[in-house]
Amino acid sequence: MRTRALLLASAASAAAILGGWQLGDAATTSLTVGSTTTTDTSGTGGTSSSQSSDAAAPAGSSASASGAADGTYTGTSVSTRFGNVQVQVTISGGAITDVTALHLTDSDGRSIQISNRAAPMLRSEVLQAQSASVSMIGGATYTSAAYLQSLQAALDQAGF
Amino acid sequence: MAFLVHDARHLERPTRPIGGDERARAGRRLWRVDLLQAAAVASVAIAVALFLAEGGATRFGDPGAALTSLGIIAGLAATDLVLVMLLLAARVPLIERAVGHDAAMAFHGRLGKPVLYLLLAHGVLLLAGYAIADGIDVWAEAVAIWNLPDLPLAILGFALFLAVVVSSLVAVRRKFRYEVWHVIHLLVYVAVLAALPHQFSVGGLFVVGTWQWAYWLVITFGTFAAVIGWRVVAPLVASLRHGLVVERIDPVGDPRDGVVSVTMRGRRLAALRATGGQFFIWRFLSAGQWWQAHPYSLSAAPRGDRLRITVRALGDGSASLGGIRPGTRVALEGPYGIFSEASRSRRRLTLVAAGIGVTPIRSLLESATFRPGEATVVLRTQGPAEGWLLDEVRELCHQRGATLITVPGGRGRGWLTPSAERQGLHLLALAPAVADSDLYVCGPRGWAEGVISEARAAGLAPEQIHHERFDW
Repeated sequence: MRTRALLLASAASAAAILGGWQLGDAATTSLTVGSTTTTDTSGTGGTSSSQSSDAAAPAGSSASASGAADGTYTGTSVSTRFGNVQVQVTISGGAITDVTALHLTDSDGRSIQISNRAAPMLRSEVLQAQSASVSMIGGATYTSAAYLQSLQAALDQAGF
Repeated sequence: MAFLVHDARHLERPTRPIGGDERARAGRRLWRVDLLQAAAVASVAIAVALFLAEGGATRFGDPGAALTSLGIIAGLAATDLVLVMLLLAARVPLIERAVGHDAAMAFHGRLGKPVLYLLLAHGVLLLAGYAIADGIDVWAEAVAIWNLPDLPLAILGFALFLAVVVSSLVAVRRKFRYEVWHVIHLLVYVAVLAALPHQFSVGGLFVVGTWQWAYWLVITFGTFAAVIGWRVVAPLVASLRHGLVVERIDPVGDPRDGVVSVTMRGRRLAALRATGGQFFIWRFLSAGQWWQAHPYSLSAAPRGDRLRITVRALGDGSASLGGIRPGTRVALEGPYGIFSEASRSRRRLTLVAAGIGVTPIRSLLESATFRPGEATVVLRTQGPAEGWLLDEVRELCHQRGATLITVPGGRGRGWLTPSAERQGLHLLALAPAVADSDLYVCGPRGWAEGVISEARAAGLAPEQIHHERFDW
């Protein structure tokens, strides 16, 4: 390659890559998950503080049986780059007895693989902790964050 | 020894009214070459940039993600370069006229191995990245990824690409007939198509409507359209339109050498805009010949409705060319190459050929622009006064005022004959003005490299040296 071609190529490439990086950073400064489809939930997934919505009972962050009514509650659908996530929680006798994933990140083959691995791990963590305040699964950041956010919305509904 | 067959050196006038024409034209061509090279590199950068635009730094948040991202980048760069390779081989007129067929194909060839390494890195990095993310070892991950959609197909694509690259390594390539090698080479299109689905289904990279999706759609379909347009449609149209048929076949020199001139007649050949020094890829549509395509240079500038090539018994195809008859229909692809006026950069000309390499030199001498005394022709021949097309070259040198020197005999250690080497002859001695001329070299590869290295030593810039290869 001649010097001029080399200079042109370097300049064009540097501009493209820096521009791409900037765009990527700008788009993801408010990382984790995208917008939620319903109104009531607050922060990003993983936080345990729940704001009381319409239910009266004060929400405790951990175990002890609160005034939550038995039943099945469906969380909001949380959209991520890799697809929507929505979970359903079953509360019985004031405790979380089951979490079912209605929809998981599935935009591509790799996402499905990640979802299939992360969902059972998240479920058992939640059942053990009895809250949405559990650690995210490594390598499944988007899925975990959205899963816990949807779960939190469901718990809020239950007044859990 | 060297023989001054025709001396036109005294005819040169010190100046020429219009100067700098060739330099300006070469300047414009070199700009196009540089821009094309920069575009090729930038296309890889854009592919990477569009990936980074979706996620940015978060793509490198943890070791698993970082390895996965690097793996994806390797795959994107490899895919982009494969498309560049296909474009380089697509006979796109813009590329053919600026870079030239030889240089474009040489660049195409040099990309093969790097792309293979990038594809390997793509697989290894993703495997490692996935394994770290999933918290399992690489072997378990290797089993797991088989469940990803379209992955077996992608691995088949890689295997085919590997076969194409290996079959093109110089040592391996020699073992194949051209046609066999070519069929293996065509597998690259299958490889690209086999790899395509997993880019959409596994990576999920090309989400419909994004810039990344648009970019890949445009360059993939653009490349395939270029290949189909210029390698299939254009030659078919040209062949049908010009209806070329063999008019006559004349032996050249000693019939035992098997050298023949084939004159072909067709319709509206001026529309081809072929000039001396260029070549076509010919296909003689007779029973045993139609499946072989031969790149042969014009041995005479196109005149009226006639094209002429001169061919020696090289390889299977040329040997049996004697079997073709007047009236045989000919399909053609071209004209290709910038071993012609298109690559001129100086007003003086030095043309050097060995053996049958004289053919493009002969036609270039006919159509090149130069004034009496400005051109020198050096031919390595069998005898001082015998050589293929030597009579025609001598006649042209007389007419146009070019100096003709023959260097007869077998090849010595360099590019000259042993006797000429003993006398201390070299390029500068034979063509004193060579440093300020365009040097056109045509002959066997090793020989031509000898001439070219001497020219470099004599101070010629790369844009002054023009080389045509005959072997494939």
